[in-house]
Amino acid sequence: MTDTELDPAPNGSALEVPNAPLLEVRDLVKHFPVRGGSIRRHKIGDVHAVCGISFDLEAGRTLGLVGESGCGKSTTGRTVLQLTRPTSGSVRYDGTELSTLDGRELQRMRRQIQFVFQDPYASLDPKMTVGLQIREPLEVHGLWTKTSGPKAVADVLKQVGLSPSHVNRYPNEFSGGQRQRIGIARALILRPRLLVLDEPVSALDVSIQAGVVNLLEDLQQEMGLTYLFVAHDLSVVRHICHRVAVMYLGKIVEIGDRADIYDRPTHPYTQALLSAVPIPDPHKERARKRIVLEGDVPSPINPPTGCRFRTRCWKAQEVCANEEPALIERGQGHPVACHFPEIDRVVG
Amino acid sequence: MTEPVLEVDNLQVTFPTADGDVLAVRGVSFDLRPGEVLGIVGESGSGKSVTSLAVMGLLPRTAQLSGSVKFQGDALLGRSEKQMMPVRGRGIAMIFQDPMTSLNPVYKIGWQIIEAIQAHQDVDKGKAREIAIDLLTRVGIPNPTERIDSYPHEFSGGMRQRVVIAIAMANDPDIILADEPTTALDVTVQAQVLESLRSALEVTHASLLLITHDLGVVAGIADSVIVMYGGRVVERGQVDDVFYTPAMPYTSGLLASLPRLDSDGSERLRPIPGSPPAMVDLPPGCPFAPRCPLSTDICHEVEPALVAVGGGSVEDRTAHLAACHFAEDVFAGTVGPIFAATSEDLEDAGVEAG
Repeated sequence: MTDTELDPAPNGSALEVPNAPLLEVRDLVKHFPVRGGSIRRHKIGDVHAVCGISFDLEAGRTLGLVGESGCGKSTTGRTVLQLTRPTSGSVRYDGTELSTLDGRELQRMRRQIQFVFQDPYASLDPKMTVGLQIREPLEVHGLWTKTSGPKAVADVLKQVGLSPSHVNRYPNEFSGGQRQRIGIARALILRPRLLVLDEPVSALDVSIQAGVVNLLEDLQQEMGLTYLFVAHDLSVVRHICHRVAVMYLGKIVEIGDRADIYDRPTHPYTQALLSAVPIPDPHKERARKRIVLEGDVPSPINPPTGCRFRTRCWKAQEVCANEEPALIERGQGHPVACHFPEIDRVVG
Repeated sequence: MTEPVLEVDNLQVTFPTADGDVLAVRGVSFDLRPGEVLGIVGESGSGKSVTSLAVMGLLPRTAQLSGSVKFQGDALLGRSEKQMMPVRGRGIAMIFQDPMTSLNPVYKIGWQIIEAIQAHQDVDKGKAREIAIDLLTRVGIPNPTERIDSYPHEFSGGMRQRVVIAIAMANDPDIILADEPTTALDVTVQAQVLESLRSALEVTHASLLLITHDLGVVAGIADSVIVMYGGRVVERGQVDDVFYTPAMPYTSGLLASLPRLDSDGSERLRPIPGSPPAMVDLPPGCPFAPRCPLSTDICHEVEPALVAVGGGSVEDRTAHLAACHFAEDVFAGTVGPIFAATSEDLEDAGVEAG
């Protein structure tokens, strides 16, 4: 499937406003307080989890948020959905500002924005049948009726590739891949337009993962869904995402279409990240250029001045410490936050 | 031809449980030459970790073992703890998945490296400390003279794993046995740890037995590879042979189900239906048959032996072997794509068919 083939969504509801992004995130910031002190606990600092990130997501498309542990990608996903409120910044969904909505208004918006969690073992209630868990969102939103409800549950189970006869079973009767399908069914029962998927396949064995990836692709085509896909696996992201944002220490360092990021990576961190992903092809894997980074990711409590990647960057100069590079187009065809941008085709 | 440092012959491991005997490893044979890097791949429950623990004599006492494991010609199975001591660390060093299980949280890392050195070498503390600092330098720990006095919790996960690699190198082992050494780590950290592992091999000239589920890591570092499924070796060969012309449908399926960094995503993935077998009461026949689109009656009745494909001989240790009744066809590629590019839930398929 190429980008152009995926582009038009068959049923039009998701595409009422052509070209206007469904989701607009501007200068999103999320800090978590750090407490210390031995007798009286008091705030001693902040974890700068997300530090002013902006992106657009168009209807019917998939944006991948990638990066390593602690880069803020999951916090971004949760903050978009207002599962945690942002410290500052704006999240606009279809023209509505979410960060200032109160609980009741937010709940109404959540009919259209749903979340799929990483761990299919932790996100389902072991004491509740699958049918009850899938219908719960309908009840919460006052949409459950005895006449139409059971059919809706059966339909959504079929849609995620499970048998409607499974409604009376409990989660422990299902494998990891099937549980993840149940999690997706529960998110889809309200017919949302936007799904935030937090590492939806990383807990699954590889042979099972492929089926769930294919399912997500099919659902997007059938229902015109928009995905915000949070993941650390760059191979899966290349397979499923139209656009990709690479995060490091709470910032987006590079953003672009899939081909921009994988064929024309420009930020040194993106290059190091891509070069470190093993390719299951012995000749290619051995011939590839590998960039091995020095040291560890600095603490998000006290991030470096200027460019946050400079402490590990082989290109770093004085300007990198003094001046934070803006995420702008610098001649490579897509925005990159680096004072010394240069394409390096590390994927090969 | 040089003698193998490790020979495993028809290894079987059974765990008696309330539900019946769990046949975790069913007749695994392989050998490891000096300096060779051998990857063992397989999904959870395939028996790859139990094989490595059996080699090290680290299985619980309830485990029933048969077959033979020879290290430099001497049998290891049935040895007492005391008889294993000179082998562990000095002969075969082990690296586990989670560095916190191998490092003691209440001792400084320097103490732990020095302890390992003094267990096998007659050196005083000052000399051992020098060796320890040298080892930390080699695995890429910055400021080793200061960091040697840090506790494990003061290191990140990747740094801890490098400390474990330093300990593994400490006594110049003949074999390093690494069980999923990079599985819990981020990719750039994985690259750092693999780099440390490569330099450990260069310094010690040890052979490496690398157990992993990541085919990409194997492609990058291994000379030869063993694919395990249902407690057996189902394919074995040089890395190029197994990756480019797999002869067992399971191997072929694993490779086709992986999204790849170097592919633009236009090809649909091909999942493998079903789930791995429970190792209690295995049905007769090929353990992969319930999930295999190629399976016929014979596959459900007769478990295929490892046979050489492409005109090789089973006697030749570099030959490409596969355990499949249709190995030659799969190897020759005449069967076409084995698995369908579907998004259906296929996990019950095997159970329902069987």
